[in-house]
Parts: sequence; C-alpha cells; structure tokens
Amino acid sequence: MTILDDCAIRLGDNMNRKGLRRGRPESRAGGIRRKRTGHGRIPPLSQRAASDETGRPGWMETAARKAGFTAGSGHAASRGCGTTFREAFNDWFSAAAESRKGGGTVREITDCALAFREGYSAGSGIPPKEIPLPLQRSASAVVTASNEEKTLPLVLSELEKLPLQEIMVVLNGCTDGSLEAVFRHPRVLKLHFPERLGHDVGRAVGAKAVRGETILFVDGDLPVVAEELAPFLLAVDRGTDMALNDITPFLPPFPQQDEVTRSKTLLNLLLGRPDLQANSLTAVPHALSRKLIDAIGTPALAVPPKAQALAIARGFEVTAPSAVNVLRKNRIRAGNTGAGNAVAKLIVGDHIEALETVMQMKGIRLDTTRLSRSELAKARNAR
Amino acid sequence: MIRKRTPRIRTNRKKTIRPKKRKPLINHPEPLVSIIIPALNEKATLPAVLREAGRVHPRSETIVVANGSTDGTPDVARRLGARVIWSPDPLGHDVGRRVGAEAAKGRALLFIDADMVIPAWQLRPFAEAVLEGGVDVALNGYSGPPNRREPHPVVVAKHVLNAWLARPDLRGASLTAIPHALSRKALQTIGSSVLDVPPLALAAAVLRGLEVRAVHTVQVGRLNPRRRRKGCRDLLTSLVLGDHLQAIHGLIREKGARGGYDDLGRLRDKVR
Repeated sequence: MTILDDCAIRLGDNMNRKGLRRGRPESRAGGIRRKRTGHGRIPPLSQRAASDETGRPGWMETAARKAGFTAGSGHAASRGCGTTFREAFNDWFSAAAESRKGGGTVREITDCALAFREGYSAGSGIPPKEIPLPLQRSASAVVTASNEEKTLPLVLSELEKLPLQEIMVVLNGCTDGSLEAVFRHPRVLKLHFPERLGHDVGRAVGAKAVRGETILFVDGDLPVVAEELAPFLLAVDRGTDMALNDITPFLPPFPQQDEVTRSKTLLNLLLGRPDLQANSLTAVPHALSRKLIDAIGTPALAVPPKAQALAIARGFEVTAPSAVNVLRKNRIRAGNTGAGNAVAKLIVGDHIEALETVMQMKGIRLDTTRLSRSELAKARNAR
Repeated sequence: MIRKRTPRIRTNRKKTIRPKKRKPLINHPEPLVSIIIPALNEKATLPAVLREAGRVHPRSETIVVANGSTDGTPDVARRLGARVIWSPDPLGHDVGRRVGAEAAKGRALLFIDADMVIPAWQLRPFAEAVLEGGVDVALNGYSGPPNRREPHPVVVAKHVLNAWLARPDLRGASLTAIPHALSRKALQTIGSSVLDVPPLALAAAVLRGLEVRAVHTVQVGRLNPRRRRKGCRDLLTSLVLGDHLQAIHGLIREKGARGGYDDLGRLRDKVR
C-alpha cells in the first residue's frame, strides 16, 4: 500500500466518522487538548498514541493499521484458513500493549481497533463487519424496546459488530413488528412481556437475565453506531463499575438547561462527584459491571439515579468515558417534550428517591460539613 | 483708593469639625416593619446599613443581633438607636436572623446583612409586598451570577430545590439570600426555629401553601464583599448544600420518598 492509499483511507475514514458523530463539539475537545500540549505545539508522532484533534493518526493507530494490513494480506493468501480476524487483532494488541506498558485510554484502544480493521479490510479486500476489542471478560448487551420496529434492526445490527457473548432484547408492550424484527437476528435472545414494564424496568429485567461480566445497556429506539458503544464496554472491562455517557459537551449553558439536567447535576454534586456534571444513568448508552449489579441489586436499576447514587455512595468506580450525542436523536413523543412533562416529573421523582436512599445510609446531610454554624461564623470572621 | 482685600488663609485657627448630623433611629413602639440585622464585627458598614434601614418605613424597629463581636459593634448599634440583642458567641447569619425574628414585634420582618449597604428604595419593595401585597415570603429575585457555563454548586441547588417544590418560577431565589421579608403569619406557620436552615424554611413555606414570591431583584452578588478566604468559602458551600439536603428531606417527610412525584406506572414487582 502506498502512502497515498493510506491517506485516502484515512481521509475517507475521517469523513465517515465525522458524519456519524454529528454534533460532537470538536472545538471544545480541541481546546482542552491544546492546553495540555502548550502553545499550539503539535507533539511529535511518538508522543501521540491516538489521533489528535486534527484527525492525524497517532503512532499506535498507524501501527494498528499496518498490522491490520499485514494480517489482512495473510488472510487473503491463506484463503481464509489462517487465524481469524479477531484473533489476529488480539495477538497484535497484547504484544503492542506489552511493549507500551498498558493499552492507553478506552478512546485510544477503540481508535486502534478501528485502524486495525481498516488495514485488514485494505489488505484482505473483505471488509470485516466486526470491531475487534481486547476484552478480558465476557460481555452482554441489554436492549429495551417497546414498539420500535423501525429502529430495532439498526440497533441490533450495530450490536452484532461488537464481541458480545449475548444480546438480550427486552420487549415489552409491543403491538407492532418489533418481535418479527428480533426473529430476523437469530443470535439475539429475547424476553417478551405483553404489558409495558414502565421506564427503566426493562433494563433491570434484562440485567437479571444476562450472564456477562460487563453489561452494555442501549435503547431500542436509539441506534448508536458500534464504534461509539465500544468505549463503554472497554471501560467496564478495564475496571470501571459504571461507565456513563458523557453528555456534558452537548448541553446548553446553565441558564438554558431544563430541570432534569439540573437535577442530575445536583445529585452528582451532593454525592461529592461534581466532576460527573450532568452525567446520569438515566441516559443511554451506559455499561455496568456484574460486581456492581450484584452489590446494589437489580431492582435499584429500575430507578437509574438511585442505582447511580448507591454506586457512588458505596465507593464503586463511576466514570463517563465517552460522549454520544443522544439528546438530538431522542425520539420526540407525547409526554416527553416541554417543561414539566410527565417524563421530566418521573425523573425528578427518581432523583428524590435516590437521595432518600442515600440519606438512609449516610444521614440527611450526607457528607457535607459537620461544622456548626457558630464555628463556621468564627472561621469566616477570622481574617 | 480702595484697596482690594486679599483673602487671607488663617493657618493658626483651629479647624472646626462639624459632627455629621445623623438622625438616630427611632424604634416605633408598635412597629409594622421589623428590620433584622445579624452583625459580627461589622463596625465599618453598620452605620450606613442602619441609616438605610431607618428610611424603609415610618413605623419600623431595627434589631441588630450583635454576636461574637470584638470590635464594639454592639456599642455602635446602640449609639445609633437600634435595638441590640447581644451574644458573646458567634451565631452565624441564619441563627442570628432567627434570634432577631423571635424578638421582633412587626407585622413584616425584613432581613438584611450588616456587611452590605443596600439603599432603602431597594428594601421597601420587600416590606411593602408583605404589608400590602399579601405575600408571606418575599424573596430577592437574584438567581446568582448569570450566563456562567458552570454554575456555582449553591446556585444549582437553589434552582433545583425550587423546581422540585413545583415552583420553577422562583428560579434561583432563596431564603439564603438577602434581602427577604417574612410575614408574621409565615413565622407562625413554619415556626421560628426552622429559620436556622433557610432552605428548609423555604420548603416548609411552599409546602404549607404560603404565598411565596420573588418580589424584587437586588444584585447582591456585586455588593457581596470579596474578602472571604477560599477555604471558608468551600466550607460555606458545603454548609449550604447540607441545608438544601435538609430541605429535600423536608419534602420527603411531607410527600413521601419520591417527593410526591409518581413513576408513570413502573411495574417494579417484575424485577426482584
């Protein structure tokens, strides 16, 4: 492959990915990164493992693409009889990670996996559908759906690209062709409830039914590309217990925020995690560890803020490793639009319930200061 | 020929210092408005604050709750004609206000701070809203510094508490901010002791169906003296967040674990 070819692939890939990640605020992310490197200096290739804001690949990505190309060519030569695509990636990645001492951030690993797949596709001439991920533990996905025949096939075909042990669809209250849509995917397991389970209950039911160590949760009405789901799986596989969707870049400034967003921010603030901002288990996609679910119990998952509050209060690792813009894509229905709508009230109630639960654990004032007003007045006056 | 007299500067004369004419405060025996001012070492700003307080209403009393002062604040207050409640230990703003409220005789109770000079015309709307407007809790409409991307934790807490109390129209208005005024009815309904925790008092007022309104906006953010050390600011933030937790707990006590919000028919028994 010539350099020109490589560039063409790179360019095509970039355009493609930009198209998929609509609304990702490149400028903001860029601003933060630039600060770290200082005075607009672009770090040498050897220091950049993954692609930077200019879209130029880092050394690890370049290496992944080369390795993918080699593996792909070998695959073509052996007429498909050699190692499989996934094995080839895992072999390369474990060797690369060893030489680097650790695999980098989930974002970098995802970028490497994508680069490897690209190289493999160029080398073998057969574009692999799968995204190879270096997962150490078994992973499952839970999809909740009620009357999502249009979007469900898209959601499932994206999930099938990921190295998942099982995909569980929790169908509830479906009266359309959702069930038939699931039948067209033979690998996919399903739970079927004739009645609507209500918000978030389907996810809890699904969590109970799957066996994976890492569980990815997505909605049947919200197709998210596999590339964007991968970081959540990776984060939990590498030790996080709760990987939330980082919606911070897509939020308006505080004065324009609705009460739901503000409630999410306040819950994190009161639990001593201001860094999580408005990130919440109420939003999909997210991934949880089996360890966490066993500790807090599946019923807590039916009230997502409660599960989040319990996880933080009990000292589990909660992070927001990746940003998927779900705010724009969310289906507009009767009942979820406008201020003070029914869903907003439900979520407000969830947050109050969450606080009530942690108050029972830790006392009404949680971990806020125990200093008395008198002592504080004394401290403030001592200038 | 008439010689023009040149004005001569007489340097040997003693300078006459005219004492500033300051009308002492008159505390009406049967006041309509009680102005309550907790003060902890605020000798410097107190005279100006009391001057403005005296101009709020013709039938008023001014109560200075001098607590923990070592700079002679109570003497200054007494000399200027205010009723003084003295405490050797610092009480903090909130307890100071409660102590003042318990001693107040007026129909409207106006709360201000001793370290912030707010002109009387900015204070009158609060007293008037209670006396004539039928308002029980007259709040400052100030909602914190506007248009910040990342708001202060306390600002978030104030907005969310109001929203959860089904009063999003109050935005970030809070009993934590001054000036604000209470009616005697409000004081009797929620009880004076709850004033120790202002957000809890606000929650109680809303939950008991009192008339709570943001009546006027005073930009107190700009007036607030920027002298507090960072460590203390963090402690204060923590205290106020704790107060909001107590308010949320008040909502839970009154309306149940979900604060009166239903869960849209979740079938919770399907997952155990």
